[in-house]
Amino acid sequence: MVAAMEEDEKKQQAEVMVTPGEVLGRVSDVKPGRGAYAAVHNDTVYASLTGFCRTMPPSPDSSDQRPTVEVTGHKAHGPVPQPGSLVIARITKVMAKTASADIMCVGPKSVREKFTGIIRQQDVRATEIDKVDMHLSFRPGDIVKALVLSLGDSRAYFLSTAKNELGVVSAESIAGATMVPVSWTEMQCPLTGQIENRKVAKVAS
Amino acid sequence: MKAGKLRFSKPNKYWVESSQKRYVPHPEDSVLGIVVDSRSDNFLVDIKGPSLAFLPVLAFEGGTRRNIPKFEVGTLIYVRVVKANPGMNPELSCTDATGKGGEFGALKEGFMFECSTGLSRTLLSSPTCPVLEALGKKLSFEIAIGLNGRVWVNSASPSTTIIVSNAIMNSESLSGAQQRIMVEKLLQKIQ
Repeated sequence: MVAAMEEDEKKQQAEVMVTPGEVLGRVSDVKPGRGAYAAVHNDTVYASLTGFCRTMPPSPDSSDQRPTVEVTGHKAHGPVPQPGSLVIARITKVMAKTASADIMCVGPKSVREKFTGIIRQQDVRATEIDKVDMHLSFRPGDIVKALVLSLGDSRAYFLSTAKNELGVVSAESIAGATMVPVSWTEMQCPLTGQIENRKVAKVAS
Repeated sequence: MKAGKLRFSKPNKYWVESSQKRYVPHPEDSVLGIVVDSRSDNFLVDIKGPSLAFLPVLAFEGGTRRNIPKFEVGTLIYVRVVKANPGMNPELSCTDATGKGGEFGALKEGFMFECSTGLSRTLLSSPTCPVLEALGKKLSFEIAIGLNGRVWVNSASPSTTIIVSNAIMNSESLSGAQQRIMVEKLLQKIQ
């Protein structure tokens, strides 16, 4: 008897693997959480990601007493940039009014798939935004710390470096050496002593 | 990094002069470009450099949104390089630094040929290059020289244009005296 009951408990705890489009419940019974959404036309909650389906109990003080169902845990999911998250990106192209960057890390974790970001001229710094020269702020190959402003368009996220602690974190000089920051607008090459212009991030010491 | 002649001008300026067929864009150079495409806010111009250059549609004397010039694909234009950063497309303008149009703009009729960048610099040097001086004494023609290795010649008759172009193309490796002799020989052929 005891063995049979243990097996039943294990079955309840075993999570079901779901794929996008699978029905997780009705809107009247469950609330969609991460990885799930409610379809308005037939009041059903479907999964939008691949992963394990978990049901969270509702918090006791909320008026809405439906449990939350979410889809998480599949190891192929890397972090995804969200508006307001700090990202580390590598500049790929600098043009007259924008700079393109390849997002490498979201917060402390590195991403699993390719995300592109764009830094517009008005988002490079907070002061005198119409006099910004993109070439004096970034060069291709620079590593920058930026803030995600919005999801942008289908091609790229919009990034901003308009804060003291955002901007170029690491850059290579023309001679090939890693440069040392001198001020918030200049970095110096240790081999040749040449000063190059960048929008430098203030790193807390 | 290039090999070339080391030149010196007092008090403390040294530079290396070399001559190639390829042009590296530099700010404040006057070049001859060919319009390749037109977009809403700039023309794409080929200036024999590593990438196409952008000519903003408003970068003309008295240029406003209402009187944007219509350059067809293939138009030859005389322009000035404004910005030329490595990795970015160069930016051009049809005005000088003060905003005046001057001689910049489309070049009509005439004949364009390509040469090396060294020859372009020699043709533009002052005092006047010997071949141009010798040609100018006997023939009347107009000429536009681009530092990117393109030269445009125009005159009233095709034979004059051909003689001027051939004389310039032949003058690359000749000294001053040799250039004058070469021009005299060419002029004898038409007289």
